[in-house]
This record gives sequence, structure tokens and C-alpha cells, in this order.
Amino acid sequence: MILSLAWKNIWRSKRRSFVVMSAVAIGVWSIIFMVSFYNSMIGAISRNSLQHDYSHIQIHHEGYLSEPGLGFQVKKPSRLLEFPSQISDIQAVSARLIVNGMVASPKTNLGIQVYAIDPADERAVTALSGFLTAGDYFTNIKRNPILLSQKLAEKLKVKVRSKVVITVQDLEANIRAGAFRVSGIFHSKSPRINNGVIYVRHQDLSKLINLPDTAFNEFAYLLKDNESLIETKQMMEAKTNNLVRTYREIAPEFDMIEEGSAISKQVITVIVMLALLFGIINTMLMAVLERTKEIGMLRAIGMFKRKIFLMIVLETFMISLVSAPVGLMTGFLTNVYFEKNGGLDLSQYAGALEQYGGDAIFYPEIAQSTYLLLMLVVMMTALIGAIYPAIKAVNLKPLEAIRKL
Amino acid sequence: MKVIELKNLSKIYNPETIPVRAINDVTLSVKEGEFTAIVGPSGCGKTTLLNMIGGLDISSEGSVDIGGVSINEMSESELTAFRLQHIGFVFQAYNLIPVLTAKENIEFIMVLQNIDAKTMQERSDDLLDRMGIRNQRDRRPSELSGGQQQRVAVARALAARPKFVLADEPTANLDSGSTEALLDIMAKLNKEEKITFIFSTHDQRVIDRAKRIIKLVDGEIVSDEQP
Repeated sequence: MILSLAWKNIWRSKRRSFVVMSAVAIGVWSIIFMVSFYNSMIGAISRNSLQHDYSHIQIHHEGYLSEPGLGFQVKKPSRLLEFPSQISDIQAVSARLIVNGMVASPKTNLGIQVYAIDPADERAVTALSGFLTAGDYFTNIKRNPILLSQKLAEKLKVKVRSKVVITVQDLEANIRAGAFRVSGIFHSKSPRINNGVIYVRHQDLSKLINLPDTAFNEFAYLLKDNESLIETKQMMEAKTNNLVRTYREIAPEFDMIEEGSAISKQVITVIVMLALLFGIINTMLMAVLERTKEIGMLRAIGMFKRKIFLMIVLETFMISLVSAPVGLMTGFLTNVYFEKNGGLDLSQYAGALEQYGGDAIFYPEIAQSTYLLLMLVVMMTALIGAIYPAIKAVNLKPLEAIRKL
Repeated sequence: MKVIELKNLSKIYNPETIPVRAINDVTLSVKEGEFTAIVGPSGCGKTTLLNMIGGLDISSEGSVDIGGVSINEMSESELTAFRLQHIGFVFQAYNLIPVLTAKENIEFIMVLQNIDAKTMQERSDDLLDRMGIRNQRDRRPSELSGGQQQRVAVARALAARPKFVLADEPTANLDSGSTEALLDIMAKLNKEEKITFIFSTHDQRVIDRAKRIIKLVDGEIVSDEQP
């Protein structure tokens, strides 16, 4: 009957209960929305960097890190190209020769990194061909085609078929320059690539700097999924004496972004829960004060303090038990809505988002376990919020309480 | 058999500053089956005396024995348990739980006593019959008249099977008809089932029905009559 009494007590002041329940539901909904939004944003940044820039695993010569350039080319490259056929979790590989250099147009020149690639392999690993905004993927220009980003094209004031000159150093530090023609202009999802990477065919660069077709200083591997990352890395390490690194080792900012995101989500959750906590305390305190006389009567006729305490806690618990699932459900439905209707379009902020490698359209991402976790957090908040009003209730002196008007 | 025995009972408010003796050296006993009215002018200490008998207030001096058990030294928790098992309360303002029906209000005290559902059901049905409110069993207090609410309150007090019932101005908020009906029920319960009632009252109709009238003036018993 105490359970029943607690339930009935909630509905004494329907408006007040509705307000606090709405606050809990809106709070829960907002957390789900914010967490989904954050996950989507961070997920997009990570995915874009992973898929369009770093790939899952890269192999370099051990000396490459201290002195990037042509001096430290990977050892036994032909073996590394065979990994996709030997390790089932590898989806594709792109062998690259990367050198620092200058690109010059009739208007200006810029410092850039030249990625000498096999177009077909690179397409399989970074989906580069999908980002073309103008021109073709190395097919429209027969001799020395080049791909550069829209941003670089604007800076250089060049367009498709324009001629640019690339200047690099060869292995003996001799300056080598070659004329290239813009085959395509792309807009990658990686800010790093947009800001300073140009793509040429491996055969064209190796000819320019007198290196064989087998000279590479970077191998980038795309895996079928992220789950097998460490296992695949270990298998690769067993097969080569080059340096094998995962994207997390190459770019520690991945961890930083994810940790930062986790902290942000926790801070938001704590702020919302604190707001709910004070709302619950306020509501329950009002409920207790309004029923001072009745609680006094209950104490007078022989209701123990612990049962009064239990009754108040149950009331608070039930408020959350009713409202939290409403918040969870509306949060879930909001996510479903955005998933089925083309995501949350923030194109007006696309420029800012692209600076961080994010997407302009957000598709909510949230783990199923988050719903359960959030439910538990709300329940805990409600229980904590019930303590003070419940203590107030049990500390009422029966005689004084009965005398209250 | 004595159900209540008060010896040299006093209640002094503000003992450190300006002491006020609300009850002064009261000694009395109440036997089982009495129908006693404590009367006197406002502020004479009727309610204070009732509160001390009911273990809701602590005496400054003297002792309160209920059924041979001294309640003076009991802890708050022991007093709560004692009240639950041995004392029935009827308040002037009924003090029913507004969200429960009449029947639930009666049963609530038995829930606190951990009485089994069958006994609880039988006892509440019986009390509803005896109080003449069976048809109102599923109504909430706000749907009942003042007289009906007070009958529910009496039924609630009796449901716990107390040694006695303390009723503080039980008819103060009732009209004549309701007062007479309530007094008829309580008198019948007293006569047929030897239930002990102790009232504090101003109401002449209650005084007229009482078998013993204790008059208090300024916290002291000035007369104790059995008309």
C-alpha cells in the first residue's frame, strides 16, 4: 500500500508533477540528442581522417619518421603489396612516394607535399576519385597529370588543364622540376590534404627524380573493419622489418579528440543531471512541505520514519521511472527521424566544420548501451534528489506537524 | 483494569526562560471501558494532556503508564511502535489521507501493523458496517461529508485494535446531526465492546454523553465526576 500511496501522491498536484516529469524527459532527450550529435561529429572527423587520409595502418622505413623524404624508402616493397592477398582483413593497399616540394603556377608558387601514387590503388584506399569537383581522375591528360585540391587551385589560380611546375629534390639533393597539367580538382574531407597535398602518378614522379618504379616510402592499408586493427598490425609486423603503425599511433589526435568528446559528453550529462537534481529536490521539498500535517498524522498514528523515508523516495523514483523512458523514447525517435530524413543538415556551418574534417550533415550515432546507462544515471539522480526532502519529512515532529495549518 | 495511569504529571513550557505550566501535577487513572470527557476552557491544557497520554508530547515531570507500561523513557522509535499497537487517534480535522479511499484509509494502519490481507479485509468491512459508511467505502475524503470523514477516522483508530482511543475535539467541525450520529456510534462501541474513549471537548453534546467528566482549569484537575 505504501507503493500505491506513493504513486497516488505523485498525482496530487498534477501540474507540478507534470512539470518535473517534463523537465526529466526533456533533460534525458537533450542528453541523447547531444551525445548523438557529438558522436556523429567526432565519428565523421575520425572516419574522414581515417578513410581519406591516414588509412588504418601505414608502413614506413624506421628512419622515415626522423627524416621524411626519399632517403628512407620501405624495404622489400613487393612483399608489402602482397599483404592484401595474405591477410584477409586488409581490403586495399596504396603504395606512395611522398616528397616535399613546390608547385608553381604563372601567378604564384606554394610549398606542398607531392603524393606519387598508383591512381587505381589510391582510389581503393582513400576514395580520392569520389571527391573530384572538376576534371577527371588522371584520365584526361596523357602526360604528367596532376590532381590538386580546390583550395590549392584557388591559391594558384589554376583550373583543369592548366599547367603547373613541380619542383622537388632527388635523392642526391639535386633540384628537379617538371611540368604537369591539372587533370582534376578535388575537395577532400581531410583538411590536411586540402591544404597542402597534390597527387601525381608514381611513374611520372619516379621518372622526374630518377627512381625505379619500386621506390616507395609509404604504404597505406585500408582494413575491412576497425575491430581487427591490432591483430592485423601484429600480423604485418611479423611479415616485415619495416615500421608498422596504426592510425592511432600516426595521429595521436584521434585519442585526444575521442577523450575530449567523452569528457564533453560527461560534462553535459553532469550539468543536465544537476539541473534535474535541483528540480527534483525543489519539487519533492514542496510536496513534503505541503503535506506536513499529513506526515505528522502518519507519524502520530505509528508510521515509522523509515517508511516515511521510503514513501518519499518511492515517489521520486516513480517520477523518474515514468519520465525518463519518455525522454529516452523521444530521443530515440528524434534519432530515427534524422536517420530516415537525410540527417541534420548544418550546411550553413559547412566551412567551419570542414576545417576540423567534419561533415555538414549529421547522422545521429549512439550506442544502445547509452540508453540503459542514461536510465540508470537518471534513477541515481532521482534517488539522490529524494534524500534531502525525505530527511526533511522524517525529521518532522508529529505534534508540531499536526498543528500546522 | 487500568489502561491509563498518570502520576504527578506536569508539562512546563520554556523552563529556562519564563516557565509556563500547561499541566500541573495531574494524577489520574482511566479504566478499561470508560467514556471520559476532559473539559475545560480554551488553553486549560486539555490537548496537552491528551498528547502526553498519546505519547506525542513528553512530560516535564511525573509519569505516564499505559496498560502498566511506562512510556516516559521510551525512545522515539519505541513510542512510534507503541502508538501503532496500543493507541487510537481521532483528530479534530479528521486528518485522513486524501488520496486514499475510505476503506484504504481504514486499512492503512493495519498495513503499518503488518496484518495479513484477509484479516485486514474482514476488519475494514466490519468497521465500515458498524460506522454505517459501507456505501462510501470507495470514496475519497473529499467526496465525504465531515461526519462521514470523522467516522472513517474513528474506524481507522479502531482498526488498529488499540487499548483506548484519544479523540481531540472530534465533533468541533461537525453539525448537530453528524455529531449525534458519531456519538451514537462511539457510545455503542463503548457499551457493547468496552472500547475506552477519552475525549477532549468543549461540546456540551459530548459532555452530556460522557460517563466521566474531568474538568481542567489552568492545567489542574478541578473536578472529576461520574454523572
